[in-house]
Amino acid sequence: MTALLDASGITKAFAGVRAINEVSVMVDRGERVGLIGPNGAGKTTLFNCILGVIRPDAGRVVLDGNDISSLAVHERARLGIGRTFQRIELFLETTVRDHLLVAERVRQGHGSVWRDLLGRGRPSRDELAATDRMLELLGLVTLADEPIEQLSLGQGRLVEVARALMTRPSLLLLDEPSSGLDGSETTDLAATLRAVQSESGFAMLLVEHDVELVSTFTDRCYVLDFGKLIAAGPTAATLADPHVRAAYFGTTPEAS
Amino acid sequence: MLIAAAVLDDVLRGVLQGVPPGSVYAIIAVGFVLAYKTSGVFNLAFGAQAFVSAALFFHARTAWGWPSWLAFVVSVVVVAPAIGVALERLVFRHLPTDAALAKLVITIGLSVALPSLFELIVGFEPVAGRTPEGLLPGGAEVFYDVAGIYSFSRNELTSMVIAVVAVAGLGALFRFSPLGLQMRATVESPRLTELAGVRSDGVAAFAWALSSLFAGLAGVLIAPRFNTLAAPDFFNLVVVAVTAAALGRLVDLPRALVGGVSLGITISLVQTFLPRVAEHAAWLTPIQENVTSAIPFLALFALVLGSRTLRSGRDHVDPLSGVSPPPPPPAAMSRSPLLTRATLIAGVVFFAVVGLVVFTSADAQWMFLVTQTVILSIVFLSVTVITGFAGQISLCQGAFAAIGGFTVFQLADRFDVNVMAAVFVGAAIAAAVAGLLAVPLVRLGRVWVAIATLAFAAFFDAVVVKLPFVGGGATSLLQGTRVPRPAIGPVDLGDDRHLLAVALVVLGITALAVRRLRDGTTGRMLAAVRASELAGQSIGISATRSGVTAFAISGFVAGLGGGLLSIQQQNVNYATNFSPYAALFWVVVVVSLGVRTVEGASHAAAGFALTDPLLFSGVLLAWMLRSPDSVPDVFPLSPKWRFVMFGLGTIAFAKHPEGLVENGKRTAHRRVEQLLARRRSAPGGAPPSGSNTALARPHPPSAAAEASP
Ligand SMILES: Nc1ncnc2c1ncn2[C@@H]1O[C@H](COP(=O)(O)OP(=O)(O)OP(=O)(O)O)[C@@H](O)[C@H]1O
Ligand SMILES: [Mg+2]
Repeated sequence: MTALLDASGITKAFAGVRAINEVSVMVDRGERVGLIGPNGAGKTTLFNCILGVIRPDAGRVVLDGNDISSLAVHERARLGIGRTFQRIELFLETTVRDHLLVAERVRQGHGSVWRDLLGRGRPSRDELAATDRMLELLGLVTLADEPIEQLSLGQGRLVEVARALMTRPSLLLLDEPSSGLDGSETTDLAATLRAVQSESGFAMLLVEHDVELVSTFTDRCYVLDFGKLIAAGPTAATLADPHVRAAYFGTTPEAS
Repeated sequence: MLIAAAVLDDVLRGVLQGVPPGSVYAIIAVGFVLAYKTSGVFNLAFGAQAFVSAALFFHARTAWGWPSWLAFVVSVVVVAPAIGVALERLVFRHLPTDAALAKLVITIGLSVALPSLFELIVGFEPVAGRTPEGLLPGGAEVFYDVAGIYSFSRNELTSMVIAVVAVAGLGALFRFSPLGLQMRATVESPRLTELAGVRSDGVAAFAWALSSLFAGLAGVLIAPRFNTLAAPDFFNLVVVAVTAAALGRLVDLPRALVGGVSLGITISLVQTFLPRVAEHAAWLTPIQENVTSAIPFLALFALVLGSRTLRSGRDHVDPLSGVSPPPPPPAAMSRSPLLTRATLIAGVVFFAVVGLVVFTSADAQWMFLVTQTVILSIVFLSVTVITGFAGQISLCQGAFAAIGGFTVFQLADRFDVNVMAAVFVGAAIAAAVAGLLAVPLVRLGRVWVAIATLAFAAFFDAVVVKLPFVGGGATSLLQGTRVPRPAIGPVDLGDDRHLLAVALVVLGITALAVRRLRDGTTGRMLAAVRASELAGQSIGISATRSGVTAFAISGFVAGLGGGLLSIQQQNVNYATNFSPYAALFWVVVVVSLGVRTVEGASHAAAGFALTDPLLFSGVLLAWMLRSPDSVPDVFPLSPKWRFVMFGLGTIAFAKHPEGLVENGKRTAHRRVEQLLARRRSAPGGAPPSGSNTALARPHPPSAAAEASP
């Protein structure tokens, strides 16, 4: 069976400087994979290339056996890639529930100007039930009708996760979900993600600086440094690799 | 052989002829890029600034009798930079770096406010047909021959010399002065200079002074090319500036310079050769007659469509763009359902009362004004859809509305079609045009949408309107674009009351439709993409598709309103109603009063149509004071204050994107709520609890928190 995501040979340069260089990652169905590396290593850029926000200079992205390299962002999203953002991206001037409703509506794919004009564009009972379930899963019920501006950063991250999950992705890209969360919030989020995953079985690719989280949450991980893949393998072993420690923690291999 | 030589001669002459205007365009482009690069402001008010200097120079010469050098020093060297510094200090430096939409809206407001404010202060009135003079005496009469091919007028020579001096001066400044070096650093990467601790602020003010100096210079130099010194012509200079600047991808000063000169030469070459082609192709005639305004549009469109760098404009060139801190969200208050209901009820009551009064006792003039307000409410709903819901600035709503008007005129005139049916045909055509126009544009980002729609408006104004099957061609010059107001069944459009009733019905249906769209899938998707295109796409929304849909809907509504307006006025009256500059004011009024809500469009229409006859004339005040005699002498105020008032009103957009009226309502509502809460808890004296304060917390994470591992 082919892997769920197979991104190979991805290269992207900004103004001549290679932000990522011939990077290949693979994610299987239902797997939890980490992607770590120091600041500026190219993690977010790789995410952008996988989702199509940025067109890589070289390389291809295969999802479920289909080459999606030439598709637009929204087409890839509909094929099953969900994502959260390092630099939080919420829909200002709407409520928490609105975030989920619009995602649900897009997923169902019916909704047109004519339906709206006939007055049938309001949320249906099924849709409300679906959003309620998701809000409950992520512990956002009390915030359902809050304007998004009123939320804390941690709550905002949860909304991003909920919105992405609402599209029922087969692959969820998480870009530093724990930044801005405190220790217990991070543990809660990890538990929630595990719980939702065991229900619907999507795979996750997690960019994270919190080594604790990466080591407990992921089975495998990739390490990027200066745009190059320097290590890959089971998380525990990879994190113990002297080269990785040198790149990531600044300890030289000799010293360790 | 002989023919080839003749052609070569023509080419040379075309090139020489194109260099003087080209050098002014170069000044414009360089000035424009300077402000854009240092402060991120896409300054659509650049033309307005040029106008102020040109008009001041002209006025000082003719009305005050100043010598040319003094008028030049005051208008260009003193006033122009002063305006630039004032704008930077008072407005733009207070805006967050990434408030691109707010900056754009504000410069649009300024381009309406500045010329009127200037005219009010100085007492300047454009005089038709009075050609402005150049810097040197006899500028248009004295010629200098170049190798027997082309003779430069003294004005043209002055332009070229001054352009060379200005550009050389700028180059020297960049190279040799400390401030210039800092500015160059800022131009190359604003983030870098900020992070490295250079006083980016002082540099920005200086850059604005320089940019405005260039604007003033360009204004004075280009003025002799216009028959009449009036603000709208200068506004169109922005299209020229952007086209030239776009050749340098908006960021490259030398390329902008080259862009300006080549644009001048291109226009002149086309002017030389197009007539020969047009002899054989009649459809080219309107283009040929208006090359100057058509070429920048066509060039800009070609650039927008053809350039890969513009299309993939998201890969910013600034290497540090990736590390900028996240944006602070605008301090938007939300609106409670209670307020929505209260507004709806108040609105209905208000309309019923006013309607009753108007129907029973208004004279013809008031009837006209009220009907106009109703119809403009429809037109302005098109701005609500495109700008309020989709977050796109469209500057060609006037063209869409005009399509509606012209369709009614043509169908009624040629085919004797029922005017009400024609209104809907016109709206459909406008929707199709708007949708098609949007297809290549919406992928490019908001700034480009604004500028390309402006270019389209300019093109429509210069070329399309002149086509016989649109504006009526030569016949309409004689007879005007007349529209009948026949009786259709029981409805007699000739009767003002019937017309008002029809307009009210159409407004009601349109408002309902727009509300439904907002609350339905369409509106939700638009709101998502408006707030974050990236996140919207990441859940599967096609930004292109929803943008095109929004444009088509907006075009339809605008066309509907435009058609009705032409029926009401029994004439399309293109120049007064729909010209680009007139329609610019629509956007300004709607945005400054309330662009997010359906009733905001009606507030704006009332503001547009009634401010002058009701407020400025002193009529309302006289009524309130119960005696016309006690109205202070300052009344009647000049109608130009409208432009100043609403133009400056856009500055509030940065803080209150929901608009001034809407913001006032929300604030008042919250006050009342707090008051009630205090009453209720009076005995214990517990502090009033704002509805949501418990969760409120500074939203943006600090840059440090984001970046630290
Ligand atoms: N749009 C862009 N234009 C120019 N350079 C960019 C752009 N986006 C990213 N870069 C550069 O590419 C490199 C990789 O950036 P990226 O954001 O992918 O790193 P990252 O691993 O996600 O870092 P962090 O841990 O800080 O999030 C950086 O040097 C960055 O400056
Ligand atoms: Mg990152």
